[in-house]
Amino acid sequence: MPGQVLTITSGKGGVGKTTATANIGVALARRGQRVACVDADIGLRNLDVVMGLENRIVYDLVDVVEGRAKLRQALIKDKRLPELQLLPAAQTRLKSAVNEDQLKSLCESLKQEFDFVLIDSPAGIESGFKNSIAPADRVIIVVTPEVSSVRDADRVIGLVEAYEKPTPKLIINRLRPAMVKRGDMLDTADVLEILAIDLIGIVPEDERIITSTNRGQPVALEDHSEAGAAFMRIAGRLMGQDIPFQVFSESGGLRERLGQWFRR
Amino acid sequence: MALVSFKGTRNGLSITLNEGDWRSVMNELAAQLNRPRVQSFFRGARVLLETHSRTVDVNQLEELIALLAQHEMTLVSVTGEQRTQDAFDQVRAALAPSQPRAPDEIPAPFVNGTMPRDGAQAMLIHRTVRSGQKFRYAGTIVVIGDVNPGAELIADGDVIVWGKLRGVVQAGAAGNDQAIVGALVLAPTQLRIGAHIAPAPEEKTAAHFTAEIARVRNGQIVIEPWNG
Repeated sequence: MPGQVLTITSGKGGVGKTTATANIGVALARRGQRVACVDADIGLRNLDVVMGLENRIVYDLVDVVEGRAKLRQALIKDKRLPELQLLPAAQTRLKSAVNEDQLKSLCESLKQEFDFVLIDSPAGIESGFKNSIAPADRVIIVVTPEVSSVRDADRVIGLVEAYEKPTPKLIINRLRPAMVKRGDMLDTADVLEILAIDLIGIVPEDERIITSTNRGQPVALEDHSEAGAAFMRIAGRLMGQDIPFQVFSESGGLRERLGQWFRR
Repeated sequence: MALVSFKGTRNGLSITLNEGDWRSVMNELAAQLNRPRVQSFFRGARVLLETHSRTVDVNQLEELIALLAQHEMTLVSVTGEQRTQDAFDQVRAALAPSQPRAPDEIPAPFVNGTMPRDGAQAMLIHRTVRSGQKFRYAGTIVVIGDVNPGAELIADGDVIVWGKLRGVVQAGAAGNDQAIVGALVLAPTQLRIGAHIAPAPEEKTAAHFTAEIARVRNGQIVIEPWNG
């Protein structure tokens, strides 16, 4: 049975598309799925950095599309997880180096060998975005609980619908329960009310994401990270499992709880 | 069998006149149209009449059209005997100037102050209108769903939203101050009617969520509860 192509996009930049792609990839692989992560952000590649595979790049996506390398040669195996591979973007080329049809046929080949093909879409709604949506069987929208991010996500959902793709699923990223509680941040219900699509995961803000991104060690590799656990749940849901949504209402680390106690 | 039967179709409301004498058929039709819920439901409908083997003459057709007009319904076609169709052609020729109306002629007094104009052309949008999506229509726009911030609706006629209206909305875009904007939750980023621009309404609390209607009164846009 061929695998499925999942495109991760957002409209707005900086909301965590690349981090989400890397972590969903890791989480799916930890759940035994064969996963190919494809960096479609040509010219601004960084999925390889987040996944910690930068120093092993020999060939990239553009080399494959232009016939200088075979797909097998360009794919980088993740040594931590044998099921996980990365097809990096070219850093020295522009988005115009590939087109929709090329990416589609590339994904067709990948689908034969992998259960999941994850495409990390560039920000924006220009050609790079369109290329990365074209091969998608499903689309995941990453949104942070901010008005600007929600506005862009809304725009992108409209565009995805115009491409006659199935209605996208939503990841709410970097939710800060304490801020929501104080009424300083949009909560899950506010976001869902506007976007009116199904949720597939809520990822709480986690400082470990920053260090893990810098070190190239996605948090989903760890067992004790809240964000990592959230990505593991998302992976399960993508595989069709029915996993209840975590309520992050009263969370926060020990320090935060102590802080609250002192402030009383 | 009922004297009169109704069926909704893609092109309008189909009304079939079955066997029976004309007077009782008309009484039955009048009774049906007067039922309280039916009345508002059919208002503004385009009617496709099916007469089968019955012959309907010019006078009878005029009577029927007058009855439909009381309910703001318009007869647009007749299917049946040749003589009945000829009669309809004759009646239509007589009514030609006002029927069918072109969308840009719509400005006409509106009934009850809240319903779309009688016979007006409308665009029906049955989904969420999202940021970056823009609809422009020469008649009335009806949305079943939300209109999100960043979306734009521009109608020469009225705009009715069965949902939350939070985008930019312009009614009476061709300069019609009589146009209205109605929504279950009326919280647009900007609201324009004809040449008037309304300041954005203040932040609404949940308790405030009640259907409202905006219209121009004495040169100003006012927002009132929608008492259908």
